Amino acid sequence: MSKSVKIAPGAMVCNECELRGDITIGSMTVIHPRASIVAEAGPIIIGECNIIEEQTHIINRGTPGEANPTCTPVMIIGANNVFEIDCYSEALKIGDNNVLEAKSFVGRAVELTNGCIVGAACKLSCPEVVPENTVIFGSKCSRRQQADRPPPQTLQLDYLTKVLPNYHHLKKPPKKVSNA
Amino acid sequence: MAFFLHPNIVRYNCTCGSLKPISRIYFCRHCLKIRCGYCVCHEADSHYCANCLEILPSSEARLKKNRCAACLDCPSCLNTVSTRSTNITVQNPDDPNKTVTRKAYYLACGFCRWTSRDVGLPDQTVASGGWPEREHAHAARISSLLEHYKVLALRERQERERKKFTPRRSYLHFSDKFGLTAVMARKRAGLPPLGGLGIKDEAGSILELTPSVASEEVDSLPAEIYTKPINLAHVATLSQRLAQPEFQTELVSNLFPAHKHLMIKRSQRCRSCEHNVSKPEYNPGSIKFKIQLAAYYYVPEIRVVTCEPLRIGQECQLIIKLCNPTQHQTAIEFLPLPSAEEDLEERHKEIEEKKEKQAEKKNAEKTSQGRDDVSVLLPSLSLSRQLSVSEDPHPATVKLTGEVILPSSSVLLPPRDDAAEYDDAGDTYHFQDNPKVVVWRKANKAAVKMVVVPQDSATETREVLIGFVMKYTYVNTMASLEQKEPQKVDLKVKVFINVGKTVGSCI
Amino acid sequence: MLPVTFSRVFRMPLYEGIGLTEKQAVVIDIGAAYTKFGFAGESGPRCIIQTEVKCPETKQVKKVLHYSSKEDLYDLLVEFIHNLYFRHLLVSPKDRRVVIVESLLCPTLFRETLAKVLFRHFEVSSVLFVPSHLVSLCTLGVNTAVILDVGYIEAVLIPVFEGVPVLHAWQAQPRAAEAVESSLKALLLSHNNDKEDFPESAIEDIKVRTCFVTSLERALQLETVEPPPDVVYREGGTKIFNIPGKVREAVYEVLFEQDNDQISISTMILDAIIKCPIDMRKPLAENILVMGGTAMAPGFKARLLGELKYLLQQPKYSSRLALKTFKFHKPPAKENYVAWLGGAIFGGTDMISTRSLTKEAYLKHNNVPDWADLSYNCREEDKISL
Repeated sequence: MSKSVKIAPGAMVCNECELRGDITIGSMTVIHPRASIVAEAGPIIIGECNIIEEQTHIINRGTPGEANPTCTPVMIIGANNVFEIDCYSEALKIGDNNVLEAKSFVGRAVELTNGCIVGAACKLSCPEVVPENTVIFGSKCSRRQQADRPPPQTLQLDYLTKVLPNYHHLKKPPKKVSNA
Repeated sequence: MAFFLHPNIVRYNCTCGSLKPISRIYFCRHCLKIRCGYCVCHEADSHYCANCLEILPSSEARLKKNRCAACLDCPSCLNTVSTRSTNITVQNPDDPNKTVTRKAYYLACGFCRWTSRDVGLPDQTVASGGWPEREHAHAARISSLLEHYKVLALRERQERERKKFTPRRSYLHFSDKFGLTAVMARKRAGLPPLGGLGIKDEAGSILELTPSVASEEVDSLPAEIYTKPINLAHVATLSQRLAQPEFQTELVSNLFPAHKHLMIKRSQRCRSCEHNVSKPEYNPGSIKFKIQLAAYYYVPEIRVVTCEPLRIGQECQLIIKLCNPTQHQTAIEFLPLPSAEEDLEERHKEIEEKKEKQAEKKNAEKTSQGRDDVSVLLPSLSLSRQLSVSEDPHPATVKLTGEVILPSSSVLLPPRDDAAEYDDAGDTYHFQDNPKVVVWRKANKAAVKMVVVPQDSATETREVLIGFVMKYTYVNTMASLEQKEPQKVDLKVKVFINVGKTVGSCI
Repeated sequence: MLPVTFSRVFRMPLYEGIGLTEKQAVVIDIGAAYTKFGFAGESGPRCIIQTEVKCPETKQVKKVLHYSSKEDLYDLLVEFIHNLYFRHLLVSPKDRRVVIVESLLCPTLFRETLAKVLFRHFEVSSVLFVPSHLVSLCTLGVNTAVILDVGYIEAVLIPVFEGVPVLHAWQAQPRAAEAVESSLKALLLSHNNDKEDFPESAIEDIKVRTCFVTSLERALQLETVEPPPDVVYREGGTKIFNIPGKVREAVYEVLFEQDNDQISISTMILDAIIKCPIDMRKPLAENILVMGGTAMAPGFKARLLGELKYLLQQPKYSSRLALKTFKFHKPPAKENYVAWLGGAIFGGTDMISTRSLTKEAYLKHNNVPDWADLSYNCREEDKISL
């Protein structure tokens, strides 16, 4: 593990996940084994209480063709987001309470605000700011707007923080195990 | 099975003319003909909900408009919604200062995350049912229209019936000139004729119906349509609208869940003898059949084993495997395809036969009409079928691109024996096989050699299609009125095999 | 009694089906784009589905009305109607009555093939063909109206006076959904140079969800008025294009622009009224019924009314028509299934047993009575006597 990875106390980061580059992980965030977070072009800052499941790719990729970027792009991911299995995200800005369902794809030019849900296998690559509480679903990426944002996964987080350490080695175990 | 037989390599010619693989055809054991999904009569058997698997009798299904009483569909993505429960705190009705928690239920779609709260439906206190049903806004108007026209129709019918009793070419209308007869006077006045139809007519008093009033006002466009940007996420799509034809709401915020549409199990019936060829079990959870006369169980199956590379104009050896699925020994013979004229002749013969049968049936009906007891005993003779409808044959166009030199001798196949597989003793049958025809055999299977000569016509599609008639003996065990003992019959079926692609270029 | 005195509805020999009356008859309205179907006597269709079938072998979707030959149509209809009965209606077609709502201008080939499919393949007990324009009046309870049906391929207008269609005044123009969609496609292509084609489903979706029929005042100066806001349209999650506000407003103009013969959807109404005798004109103008899916476009009726009033002042019509008011009916249904509802009401009455073409009659004569066929449509003597 490189020095540049900062893991806040209370976060659960499994040993088998791939972390490259300058990455900051907020407290209570759970990163499953085999997730890969690559800060290639610039740092990645992940907030609190996120769940990042297996096979997830979160990549801060530089714009292709631009040799010397004038400014380093920073990827910021807010709090209470869920990255489900095998989703792929290059989005530079992700707000709070978003869900990226299994096998979804979010391109670099997309910005997720708050409470958005990218449905299973939906692919978003056009430059846009997805409005709050948008649900994108189905093979045609239909959209609808929801009244409430998806609730934070507190129960699941509690469960994972209890169970994961029993079966996996954790990276730089936080000094205090949260007493949840 | 569908996987093995899916590529349409070996296709059988159904009696109706279509070509299908053996997994898709039936064999009617009563008329000993091959049938397929196209030429059998489909019937709705039982209604069930695909979500909760509840069976509804057809009368109830009709009453509920083919919708499940319990399950609901998401109006947004048309998948089934599920009920979620939450705890909410409400004021205690007895003591306003205290609050109690109780369960509240709402609907949520697992796919697009639509919830009943999105459209402002209040949560329910019971887990199932209780959701408000929307009434069709014009239901009352439409039923009054229907009543009105029903009465009109009845009246027209009565008038016609009445007219039928007056002789058409009566000279009564001349009598108008010279003063009306009493009958005519009544008729003129619209009164019922004395006696007879009087009672019926009273029902025919026309209900007063207010006709629709046209207005000069029409719905005009809202003024903001020219200035207000629209959010596509708020406008319902056409499929969402058409899912509920009576409402066709334009805004997503007005979409309400609809009851789930039912599904049916179908039974299939041979058209000429009215016996079932396929009847599923009633229970929707069961995938078994009460009756399943699939051809797979009665007609020898052909599979291609190997074929030499196909070169146009050259003889190539083709090995096919025959399998006897029945409990009786069968002899299989191969014949060339009949020519078009022979086909036509055969068809004419069949039609003649059919006509004869019909005439017989009619005679039987005539005799049975005299004696009621006969028709009760033999219902198939009169009541069940008013008129036999024949559909035109549905010939599939086949262009053969290869010739085939068929084996000259017939092949005997022993009956199927499920235990043979576990029997180490080996085959107990000893057939005197012609080694030029039979390559090998095991239990009820045998591999047979034949020679294919791809024709010039194969250059176009590069696929070699051959055809022949397979003649096999079938033991009919169905006991009928005339025939109590099992009897052997020779049956023929046309088989078309797509042998494969040609190799090399033609010279 | 109602309309169909003249019509193609066949008089069958009196036959009281034993036990047939309790089976609900099926009412089908096969449109070029969408098929409406359900049961007689009900207040709305069970389903509205696209008139297309998926070929079981090639897995390609094919429109039923894009048939190449009679045999092709037969196969398509068998597949389509099989689907109707066993996927949606969930009843056995055999020995059940059918009401077919059809246009008076329906091609003979289509009718004959449809009847053959229903009688020979599905073995229905009887078929009642009802003309869509005529039975639409059943939804209103009036006997006189100008009926304009704006469907997918063409707009067809037939005036009906006291239950009798004024056939010589009929009008038909290919100004309907298809024209709108092709105009929309052309406009979008000219505004999005990088696109080569739009799928039909996307065009229909754009038409339904973003476009509207503008008012007459704005239409007359469409180039100068401030256009409505643009809409960003997403095709899936990866393609995106802009729909200019001008396009949203202008696509429906193709229905109202007068062509070289000075004909538009609004002149159809006036021309039809002119063709009618003078005594009929006022009642007809005050009873206009507009139906068909295209008539559901926002602003369609308002525009039509505006156009009619405007045209009345033009010299071409002012000299020939002394009308002052136009009145529109509001049927108790959505416009796209008005004709179906008419068929359902008509089929819910006794008419279905007295006027249907029965299986016996069909098998005997092997053809379908038609109003255009003189062997059927001649005056019956018993109608005149008494």
